[in-house]
This record gives sequence, structure tokens and C-alpha cells, in this order.
Amino acid sequence: MIEDTPTRLLLVDDETILREPLAEYLTRQGFAVQEAESAAAARAVLIEFTPDLVLLDIMMPGEDGLSLCRHLIETRDLPVILLTAKSEPTDRIIGLEIGADDYVIKPFEPRELVARIRSVLRRAQRAPVPTEETALYRFDGWTLDPLKRKLIDSDGAMIAISTAEFRLLRAFLDHPRQVLDRDRLLDMVQGREAHMFDRAVDNQVSRLRRKIEEDSRNPEIIQTVRGGGYRLAADVRRSAAETR
Amino acid sequence: MPKLRPWPRSLLGQMLLALATGLLVAQSISAVLLYQASESRREQTLLNAAAFRLLGNPQADRNPNGRRGENAAENTMRRSDGGRRAEHRGRRAGMAGELIQGLPLNLRLEQTEVSPLLAGEVRKPGREAALREILESQGIAAEDVIVVTRSFAADPITHNRERLRQRVAQTLGPDTQLMVAAAKLPQRDGWSVARVAEPPRQRGSVRMIVGQTLLIFLFLFTLQFLLLRRITRPLQILTGRTERFARTQDPSAPLRAEGPQDIRRLITAHNAMEARIGALLDEKDVMLGAIGHDLKTPLAALRVRIESVEDDHERGRMAASIEDITRSLDDILSLARVGRVGERPERAELSSLTASVVEEFEDMDQPVTLTESSRMVHPVHVTWLRRALRNLISNAVRYGKSAEVSLTQSGTDIILRVEDNGPGIPADRIEAMLEPFTRGEASRNRDTGGAGLGLTLARAIAEQHGGELVLANRPEGGLRAEIRLPLG
Repeated sequence: MIEDTPTRLLLVDDETILREPLAEYLTRQGFAVQEAESAAAARAVLIEFTPDLVLLDIMMPGEDGLSLCRHLIETRDLPVILLTAKSEPTDRIIGLEIGADDYVIKPFEPRELVARIRSVLRRAQRAPVPTEETALYRFDGWTLDPLKRKLIDSDGAMIAISTAEFRLLRAFLDHPRQVLDRDRLLDMVQGREAHMFDRAVDNQVSRLRRKIEEDSRNPEIIQTVRGGGYRLAADVRRSAAETR
Repeated sequence: MPKLRPWPRSLLGQMLLALATGLLVAQSISAVLLYQASESRREQTLLNAAAFRLLGNPQADRNPNGRRGENAAENTMRRSDGGRRAEHRGRRAGMAGELIQGLPLNLRLEQTEVSPLLAGEVRKPGREAALREILESQGIAAEDVIVVTRSFAADPITHNRERLRQRVAQTLGPDTQLMVAAAKLPQRDGWSVARVAEPPRQRGSVRMIVGQTLLIFLFLFTLQFLLLRRITRPLQILTGRTERFARTQDPSAPLRAEGPQDIRRLITAHNAMEARIGALLDEKDVMLGAIGHDLKTPLAALRVRIESVEDDHERGRMAASIEDITRSLDDILSLARVGRVGERPERAELSSLTASVVEEFEDMDQPVTLTESSRMVHPVHVTWLRRALRNLISNAVRYGKSAEVSLTQSGTDIILRVEDNGPGIPADRIEAMLEPFTRGEASRNRDTGGAGLGLTLARAIAEQHGGELVLANRPEGGLRAEIRLPLG
């Protein structure tokens, strides 16, 4: 990131009591923040101003956040983080389905929001968003739904995995049969929640093995590679998500 | 129809039973009355015949419109060819009365000085009174009247008349009864004695009455059954619907009002009630959503503002307070939402679910261990069940300093068990602990947080899964909390 051109954010929220202090906070964190109190105002701002990222409240009077989000992604290809008061998983899924990059639930820790903004921008810069973002991963009888973050076994039963395990597994699935060393894994898995930054990769791998390996002491799917790394020893197929 | 029990429990069964019983009683009464009427008619006929004989002038009787010749011829013939013709005629006529008429005259009306009462015979006072009445209605006052019944064979007139006896036995049956009616009439000397054969009871008539009764009964019963079923079927459907609604609170696709008027009204009223309840629940959801939104936005604002507090310690405490409020708010909203329509349980593997919750606590360096678990797949609401388990574990950690978690199966129950080594709960407080906003003693120092909804929510979630939450003190100390989910 280039230091002298601050990252431009557009903050869309109808609630002044939140929008103003948040804008102040983000400005203090070094962002250039434009505010809009409604979807219509945001559309007006966007005519002359092109932000690097949009922070968007879902529940707004008039046009709601999801609708604006769809518009932004389809016409401007802008990264979007949704701000929501609801914590229902369905809202999250709808938000991610229409292409939002991330979401935070109010009330959020401001530092976490900043971390997520940086993370989304990093991903946006590094590579174009994979087109198959929502396609299911299939490997060795297992199915991973990246959108719903669900791991399904060969009987169709759901296996509970944590966010860290999900990211780790996805990193393996995106690089099947490749050796991934700890640093690389940590980099890929490094998530949005602060407490996971220093999570030992080995610990997560062993937890993941307990869930997907027949015998976690003799792992067959995620193999340890001598010299410090792991490898997914399975073929991965991608297929379109079932509509459910 | 469900299997028959000795005593029906359904409305249809009970109404049918009541109606059938009533019908049977009414029909029995009517059958008895019918029988009695036919008996009294028979009696009347018998007595009338006797009275007619008694009053009959032997002269007049001997010349009834040329029948005398026939009778005379008959008498001659009987003497000449063994009475075969009379026998034939008797059989053809079939009626006992006519056969008696075919008897020699002295059998029909006998004049005698001696009382016809044989030794050991019992007079029939009822018949005597009735006969006297008939005679009186003809203007004749009898001095004395005797009526007895005896068997044909025992009657003196059959003495030395073996063939007559045989004939009667053949046509009327061997034990034909003869009613002997005697009266001392004015203008006649001694007793006038008339004999009338009691026609045997028509064996068919009783059978016919019973048959008719049964037929009518069956017809009416079938009619009632069809009618009652028409009434009760919509009621059954309504019951099923109500049960379903109690479970799902889903007012969509209301019942069609059918059946009799009352039931139609009931169904219409039920539909209206369902719609109202559905609307209320929707309103509640919208309201809770609004509350959530309205409270969470200022909380979010507050959370942003405290970032400008310089003192790290102070800021940390503020953040903790905000988190506390947020958690309480989430608990309240969850408690109001748990079990609402829309979510279908999904088959999930429970040991991984349990492990992932335990790992959350491990990640926060809390003393939580998973002692026992095995692979179990069961349809559950994953997010909710995790939440219930999380609540139980944080309670255990909060009050009991550590938690041991296990997932086992016992009989037909899946048991998610969380045990701690704390002080437990006094036995009389266990029930109260499950009520909302109740906290254990240890939370007086306020560092624990939460609205006191943890156990209430865990119980609501267990019940949402058709199971239960069981709290008990362990004999070795500490509390044991179990979520029991039925496998079926």
C-alpha cells in the first residue's frame, strides 16, 4: 500500500450516531472517508468519487444495503463490507451470495473492522476474485460448501468446523497435492479475528484431522511432509453449489 | 377405523355407541309391545270364538246357509272312509279353529249337567272375567263361567276316539291345547261347554319381529355412522391441524371449512385464530428485529467512541461492559426466537460439533476438556445446539472453575453432559435456576455478566429439539448439566 495516498472509503449508514464517530475513527486510522446517509446519497457521491472500498449498512430506509451492494458489485466492481445488526446466518449468506466481500455484525470492535478492511483490500489487490467463489469442493467423499462454510461427510451429515479450520481446509483444497509450509499456511489462514493470528498451524491441522481423518494418528488426507509442511493427498473437484 | 377397543374413546365411537344403545332399547321396547299386541289379539280371538260358540243356538248352527248338508255329508263320509277328506280339509285350511269347526257338533257345544272342571285343573280367572264381559256385552248375564286349558288328549271328548286324537296330533301337533269355556247361561239347563283349540303360537312371528328389529337397527345404524362420520371427519382434520400448528406455528394453507354448519364455523374461527397468532408472531419478530437494530446501533457507536479513551485499562472495561450488554441482548432476542418456523434441522455429526465448541474454550485458555465422545449423526439445529452447549460450558467454567464435556448415548437418548467441580446448586434452587434472569450466588461480584438467560436458553433449545435439560448435583460435588435428545 502506498502511504501518501490514503485508502478511500465510502461509509453508507443512515444512523448518524454511528456513522459520524466511525468516520472520525477511520480517519484517525489513516483512511479518507466519505459519508452517505442513504443509498440514494451514496449513488450521488459515487458519480464523482471512486472509493477503494465501501462500508455498507444493510438496514436502511428507502433502498436497502443489499440492493445497493448488488448495484455496486455489478456496475462498479467495488469491494464491499456489509455492516449488519442481525447475526442470522441467512443474512450473511445472502450478503455473500450477492458478492459482498465480508460483513461485520454490530456492535463490532473498530480494530477488527480495520483489520477486515485491510484484509479485503489485500485480497482485492493480490488477485481478481475467483469466479468460482461459491462452487463446492469435493474430495475423498467430502464436500465443502465455501459459502455456507459447511463440511458434509459422505453420509450427508454436517461436520462442525471452526472458522480457522475452514480457512485451513480451503487453503489445502485450493492447492491440492502441493506441499504447504507453516508460514504459507499461516499467511493463507490468517483471518479476520485478532485472536487467531498467532494460532499455531499445527494445532489447527491436528484438530482438522480429528474431524476428517479416519484415524487422526495415521492421517491419509492431510499428510505431514518431512521438513515442515503439510499436503492434501486427495483430488479436488469443484462443482456448482446446489440451490437450497 | 382404528382398532376396536371395548370402550370407544373417539367422539364418533362414543356417539355411535350412545345412539346404537338408545336405538336398541327403543326397538326392544317396540318389539315387546308388538309381541304383546299380537298376544292380546290372539287371546281376544280365542275368547270371542268361545263366546260365539257358547251363544250359538245348536239349531241355528246346524243350518248355516246350506252348510248343514256339507257337514252332514262330512259326518257320513268320515264314518265311511275314515275321515280322510276331513283330514285333507283340515290340513288345507291349516287353521285350528276351522278344524275344530269340523269336529262333531257335540264337541263344539256340549250341554251337560256336570261342571266341566276336571280334578286338579286350575281356572283362568283373567279369561273368565274377559269372557263374562263379552257375554254381558251381548246382553247375557252368565250365572257362572269356567275357563280352563287342557291338552286335547286329556279332554274327555277324546275318550274312545283314538283316530280323532291321532288326526289332531298330526295336523295341530301332539300337544295341542284346548280351551274349554263353560257357562251357566239363562234359559239353558246346566253348563254350556265350548271347546276351542288354542292355535299354536306362530313360531315365525317372534322370529319376524326380531328380524325386522335387526334390519331396521342395521339400516339406522349405517345411516348414523355415515352421518356422524361426515360430522366428525372435519373435526378430526381440524384436530390434526391444531396439533400441527401448535408444533410449527405455521398458518399457511388454512383448512377449507367443510362439514355441518357448527364445524364450519369452528374451522373458520380456527383459521382466523391461526392467522392472528401467525401475525402476532411475525409482529414479534419484526419488533425484536427492530429492538435489536435500534439498540445495537448505539452500542456500535459507543464501541467506536471508546476507542478514543486513552487509558487502556479503562477502555478495556468499557468494551467489556458493551460486550456484556450485547450478549444479554443476543440472549433475549434468541430466547424469543428459538423454535420459530423457517429453520429445518440438518443432519450433523455431533462429536465434531461438541469438539468444536470445546475447542473454542481451549482457544481462550479455559479449563474445558472433552472426556468422551463418539461419532453420532442426528438432525439438529446446529447453531442453536452449539449455543446451548456453549452456555452450559461457560456456566460450568464460571461457577465450577472447570468443565468436563462428554457426548454419550444411553438407551434412546443422546446425552450431552457438562460437569464441573463447583459448589453445585442447592436442590431447592435447581428449578428456579432455569427461570429467566436467575443467577447463581457466585455472580454477585458482577464479573460474570450475562442476563441470567444462559440456562433458560439452553433449556428452550433442548426443548426445541424435542429433548430436555436436566440439572443435578453430582454426588462427588459439582453440578451436572445434561442435554438429552431423544433419538426417535
